[in-house]
Amino acid sequence: MAVKRKSEFRKIMKKYWKNGTAVLGTCLLVFFIIVAVFAPQIAGVNEMGNNYQIPRVSWSSKPIAPTSEHPFGVIGGRDIFYGVVWGTRTAFRLGLIITGFSALIGVAIGSISAYFGGWVDEILMRIVDIFLSIPFLVAAMVMTTILGKGLDKVIIALIIFGWMSTARLIRGNILQAREEQYVLAAKALGQKDWKIIMKHILPNTIFPVVVQMSMRIGSYVITAAGLSFLGVGAEPGYADWGTILSYSRNWMTMLNESWFAIVFPGTAMVLFVLAWNLVGDALRDIFDPRMRS
Amino acid sequence: MKKILLVTLALLVSLFAFASDPNTLVNLTIGEPETLDGMHSYDTASGEVIENLYDNLIQYNGQSVTEFLPMLSTEVPSVDNGLVVEEDGALKYIFPIREGVKFHSGNILTPADVEYSFERYILGDPAGKAHWMIIEALTSSAFYTVEDWFADYAGMAYSDAVNADRNPISDEAKAKLVSFYEEVIDPRIEVVDNTVVFTLDGPFGAFLNIVCHFGSWGAIVDSKLAMERGDWDGKADGWWKWHDLEADEYAFHDFGGGSGPYKLVEWDRAQQKVVLERFDDYWAGPAAIKNVVIWGVDEFSTRKSMFEAGDADIAYFDPVYLDQALALEAQGKAEVTTGYPVSSITSLHFNWLIAEGSEYLGSGKLDGNGIPREFFSDIHVRRAFAFCYDGITFIDEVINGLGKLVPTDLPEGYLGFDETLPLPEFNLARAAAEFKQAWGGEVWNKGFKLQILYNTGNNSRQTVAEMLSYFVSSINPKFKVEPLGVQWPTYLSAQNNGFLPMFIIGWVADYPDPHNFISTYYASFGTYAGRQGQLFREWAIENVDDEIVAAIKATDSAERIKLYKSVQEKAIEFTLGIPLYMPVGLHVESPQVDGWYPQTARSGYYYYHLSKSE
Amino acid sequence: MPLILIGVTLIIFSMIWALGPDRLLASYIKSPEALKTPDAAERLIKKYGLDEPMPVQYLKWLGNILQGDFGYSMVGKKGVLPAMLERFPYTLELTIYAIIPVILVAIWLGVVSAVHQNKFIDQFIRVFALVGWSLPDFVFGLLLLLVFYSLLGWFPPGMVNTQFDLIMRSAEWNKITSMPTIDALLNGRFDIFVDALRHLILPVMTLAYLWWAYLLRITRSSMLEVLRKDYIRTARAKGVPENIVIQKHAKKNAMIPVLTVAGGSVIGLLGGTVFVETIFSRVGMGRFLADAATLLDYWSIIGGALFFSFIMIVGNLVVDVSYALVDPRIRLE
Repeated sequence: MAVKRKSEFRKIMKKYWKNGTAVLGTCLLVFFIIVAVFAPQIAGVNEMGNNYQIPRVSWSSKPIAPTSEHPFGVIGGRDIFYGVVWGTRTAFRLGLIITGFSALIGVAIGSISAYFGGWVDEILMRIVDIFLSIPFLVAAMVMTTILGKGLDKVIIALIIFGWMSTARLIRGNILQAREEQYVLAAKALGQKDWKIIMKHILPNTIFPVVVQMSMRIGSYVITAAGLSFLGVGAEPGYADWGTILSYSRNWMTMLNESWFAIVFPGTAMVLFVLAWNLVGDALRDIFDPRMRS
Repeated sequence: MKKILLVTLALLVSLFAFASDPNTLVNLTIGEPETLDGMHSYDTASGEVIENLYDNLIQYNGQSVTEFLPMLSTEVPSVDNGLVVEEDGALKYIFPIREGVKFHSGNILTPADVEYSFERYILGDPAGKAHWMIIEALTSSAFYTVEDWFADYAGMAYSDAVNADRNPISDEAKAKLVSFYEEVIDPRIEVVDNTVVFTLDGPFGAFLNIVCHFGSWGAIVDSKLAMERGDWDGKADGWWKWHDLEADEYAFHDFGGGSGPYKLVEWDRAQQKVVLERFDDYWAGPAAIKNVVIWGVDEFSTRKSMFEAGDADIAYFDPVYLDQALALEAQGKAEVTTGYPVSSITSLHFNWLIAEGSEYLGSGKLDGNGIPREFFSDIHVRRAFAFCYDGITFIDEVINGLGKLVPTDLPEGYLGFDETLPLPEFNLARAAAEFKQAWGGEVWNKGFKLQILYNTGNNSRQTVAEMLSYFVSSINPKFKVEPLGVQWPTYLSAQNNGFLPMFIIGWVADYPDPHNFISTYYASFGTYAGRQGQLFREWAIENVDDEIVAAIKATDSAERIKLYKSVQEKAIEFTLGIPLYMPVGLHVESPQVDGWYPQTARSGYYYYHLSKSE
Repeated sequence: MPLILIGVTLIIFSMIWALGPDRLLASYIKSPEALKTPDAAERLIKKYGLDEPMPVQYLKWLGNILQGDFGYSMVGKKGVLPAMLERFPYTLELTIYAIIPVILVAIWLGVVSAVHQNKFIDQFIRVFALVGWSLPDFVFGLLLLLVFYSLLGWFPPGMVNTQFDLIMRSAEWNKITSMPTIDALLNGRFDIFVDALRHLILPVMTLAYLWWAYLLRITRSSMLEVLRKDYIRTARAKGVPENIVIQKHAKKNAMIPVLTVAGGSVIGLLGGTVFVETIFSRVGMGRFLADAATLLDYWSIIGGALFFSFIMIVGNLVVDVSYALVDPRIRLE
């Protein structure tokens, strides 16, 4: 069994590396990880306190073109290079924490729902329906007003309203898997239900969740940027790509003087989201049973 | 398929922007009116529409805010022309009403309309709206709301007289309500022949400013039309049914009921547009521009693009983007006027006794990790903070020079403004010296920690907070001042509860009189007194209250100037606050627009004075 | 369904009331001047019942709703229901125009992508679509505005030209659907129709580019699945030209899941219009809700949430039914 798994894994990896877009995505991700890990070495630290607060280099909010001291230029009095580099950490934190927690909640609720069935399932699924019916943006905006401003509050709000699709997905998959041969066999052998779920069903149903997660990591960064645009995201001056982009919003009509405030954080964001999507796409192609020939 | 696409695209592109129409003026602004009825209007966007739809009794003479001209009244009352008369301490203002003035509805304006308008405002007096001004003026600052006025007269609270369904609770209450109108309100504003007479309990320096044009709280409405539309019927019995209603329950919330130079075509609340059309029967002659569109476009880049493309004639520019306006001017696409006064002050004040339960004090003790509640009651702390504000840099870099340093919270050009008073000084050495003396030297040795709040989205407040934080910390590393951005609801509630250690807030004049600023910031009964703490109130009662009250009751200008100067000297000596800056105006119009001039009392634009060339 | 609606409103209600009366005041006090009179804050709290316990408030609101009273909207400056009804047609119009290019282009590109699986063109299309998916809406929208309006002067923001706007407000104009393009046609004004269309192009492009990636991906995988089916292989083996195999046999069958998902994404677009409406100075539900949420205008928030939930539920029902109609497997069950 173990040998077989290993060789299958190798086969998958081989297939993965043959896929051009997947390789591109992975390389990008590795690059971002390096930037995030070595942020203090690359961009320095904020001597006035919190490293995630971009230090002010000018009181004026006008864009200042790139110089050797500020290689990406300055906008809103903030050094864009510092913001883009430390923003990489923010992006990972944002994406990983939100997807991680919402997947956890989703998997838990989905499995409980599918496992118990009956009225438990009915109630949980109604709750899912209710959460799905609340316009996401409104919920997030009201939540951030309640919790206060700041990126951690955005994260909480996005987790609270982000777990439902995972729950549905996992529930559907478990219901389907329950009828599969190997599960029926395990049942016939008298194994305990929760053991069956943990050992047989979840490992076989988790891949779609992983694929879904990898794609959503990127899109949460965009959602957070959108909230910044609406004035309920990270606080101004926070090292976050969306925040820097929001600064550039009012200088859009003078691109010759402010292009760097869009180009650098914008590129970082697009590449980051792209990387996760490419990886997710490739994983899906590989794991999706329908795609396997 | 492809051909159709191409043809459609070509068709769409080939329709070029229409040449600018000299009959139509488009003004791109931010925000939108709350209402078009003077009853609920207390914001500039509502004020702008109302001043174009309605007339007042008198109007300002050009740019002046102290000289008046007749409007619906044919004369400006003064002691000299015998229209201001003193009788047993009370002061009567007599306004002769112009004859033959037509409302938009075709009704003819009568003195009864004037009486009705003011009584309607006073009795309506919705919570948090503007009519405290006229009530304060009539009662010599004894009352600010009609409910308090009634309570004083009837000896019972208004809420004990009228229930939630707007019915009198008892016959006795009803009798009191009726007689309150008959005995107290009605005689205050009376029609005598062809005049309307206002009776004030005593002199009130700002009375004419309050009823003057551009103040939506003095707009004269068409009383017949109001009654037809279900508003107050003008009778004593039942006035309470129209007291403190929701904005849309009043007659002119979205309907024009005035006699002004423009009529209302439509208030499209979905598209954030107010569309006005010239009123051809206007008593002073029709306006030059036929159609006016006031359009709220909140996104700056969009607004600027539309203005640049010639799709708008006037556009709002925030001072931060002055450079972008000047760039348009250089291309001949705009005319920019800057530097005129706008009757507003932004300042920072301290809380001398922070309310219990505040989360912004750190540990709450002077142990290096917080501040005690009465931290700012020590004058050395206040002075030290004031020396840490670099006003010149702030004005130059943050607001592009569109501001001025002033010695106190009184704008330039106001009665009592004195340029010989010292301006706020940026001096870190003196700040350090003050910090060393504060709290017997304990502040310097132990250090402190506090948070300065600002409401997010307000760039200048944020920069002020960051600037203070930066310079205070640079004096002594043990001093920690953290800027903290919160949303408006939190900011508002923290202010009202007195939780903020210090607060940055502006004031825009209600009417151009020094009383409106001095009492707001410095009096123990002022709007901002509560958030400066009980210890401040005690100080103010002892030191400045008497002078502030005397100043508004004084009729002689020299006397008033003397009193206001004395209050300001104390404000500086005790460093009650840091007057951060007085904003100055920025007006951007297309080169085709003519006739605009600055006027500090006006809200937005008065289109009657504008014209447009081709 | 009523259960869901009650659940939705209950959650939003409790969220809002968790703020407490002090902060809820903010929707009535937008500037410090409003607090000039000494007891204004207490009076406002009392007037609007902000300090009453949540269940009392909720029941009151429920009672009012049943009488058709949704409360006063501070954002709309009128009742919540009329405020929403006057905005909905604009959002609907935008959505309808946006969904057409989304579906057409996404299907076309998705098919191309699937047919050339893993070839350069496939990778290129997918990356191209993903870039759209990765771009924050407001950045893309502002860039479009810059290029096509500021530089080229082709497509202005807003709804229609000011001259036409004045015509549309005059007495002789028949307001039938409140959707500018349709009303223009019904009034026989082709010039206004074209002008309204001109104003729609940029918002539609913004919305469309951001949604292509989603539909494209589904088309592609659905197409890939179908291409592996036995009947396709049979057709190919029989010598049917590749072109016809794809257009006739494969595409038709691959469309079933795509169309149902497309139905769902109409609802998604409806909610995703807030940025587009702000940037292009248009009117609509998205902006209404966003404004309400920032101002804490709670009657509008609750009303809007209710409205959206209702549409989502109805939309999902329609999608379910249509799915059953086009997919024979479901009918059999």
